[in-house]
Amino acid sequence: MDHVQRITESTQEIFSSMIMLEVTPGEPYKRNKSMLRGSISGIIGLTGSIKGLLAIHLPKQTALEVTTAFLGMDVTEIDEDVRDAIGELANMLGGSLKAALDPKGSGIQLSMPTAIYGDEYSIDCIATAEEITVPFELSGNTFLVELQIDPNG
Amino acid sequence: MDFAKKIIKSTEEIFSTMIFMEISAAEPLTEGKEILDCHVSAMIGLSGDFSSMLGIHCPGKIGMAITGEMLGMEVKEVDADVKDTLGEIANMVAGGVKEAFAAEDINLELSIPTTVTGKSYTVSSPTRSNRVIIPFDLEQGRFFVEIKYSLK
Repeated sequence: MDHVQRITESTQEIFSSMIMLEVTPGEPYKRNKSMLRGSISGIIGLTGSIKGLLAIHLPKQTALEVTTAFLGMDVTEIDEDVRDAIGELANMLGGSLKAALDPKGSGIQLSMPTAIYGDEYSIDCIATAEEITVPFELSGNTFLVELQIDPNG
Repeated sequence: MDFAKKIIKSTEEIFSTMIFMEISAAEPLTEGKEILDCHVSAMIGLSGDFSSMLGIHCPGKIGMAITGEMLGMEVKEVDADVKDTLGEIANMVAGGVKEAFAAEDINLELSIPTTVTGKSYTVSSPTRSNRVIIPFDLEQGRFFVEIKYSLK
């Protein structure tokens, strides 16, 4: 199984089992430091046998839809609940991906998640990191799940 | 566990030995409204005996000043050099914090650094987590080192 497949399966699993939403994966690509606009990102660090970063970038509208479904309450603006929910989403994705990358379950650990929200921002990793981004569609909008891995361990 | 003390020691050491800039730590903060004026952030995750995220936040001109000093060249915009330099400083500061904890038999591993830049963004950690922010003053102004953690 390659990283694209792991990201796809983990994301679909978390969305269908925890948020009760079906998401459709698109063609993987390299995001190449493009600016994120009107979005919220959840990021979490991976340490241990794989050093890296997992990020999920959602347009504001998608973040509200996901949080509404996740918390079971109507959310209409990016408030503390949404930022917490997106951080928790990164945490759940990290947990699922960790299990896929390391089935024995002792080699990889997760850091604390962080949410980043803004009108226009860019999130970059170290230049040498291997980067894989998989887009997913939800209700006509696209969100991204990105994995960055340090090739030097 | 004294997070503030470990951050101050590690940050001062990195600045004096690697960047050759004088900095002085101010009183730790527990809320980060000042960070809103920052346009360059570098973050790195820590995990192991507890989970954490360490971040350096600075206004663009401070990011450029630090990068210029570290690379020995003039820096005129928040470019790839600034992002790489801040990421590397976050990595080194977190490395120092990791060592300080290791001396107390608390083990941590580092993830890879990430930088966030932009005209307007906010960085937030889970509401349940603990947060310590240390402001550091240098000749050109102020930057912040933040650690967020949750003990298992």
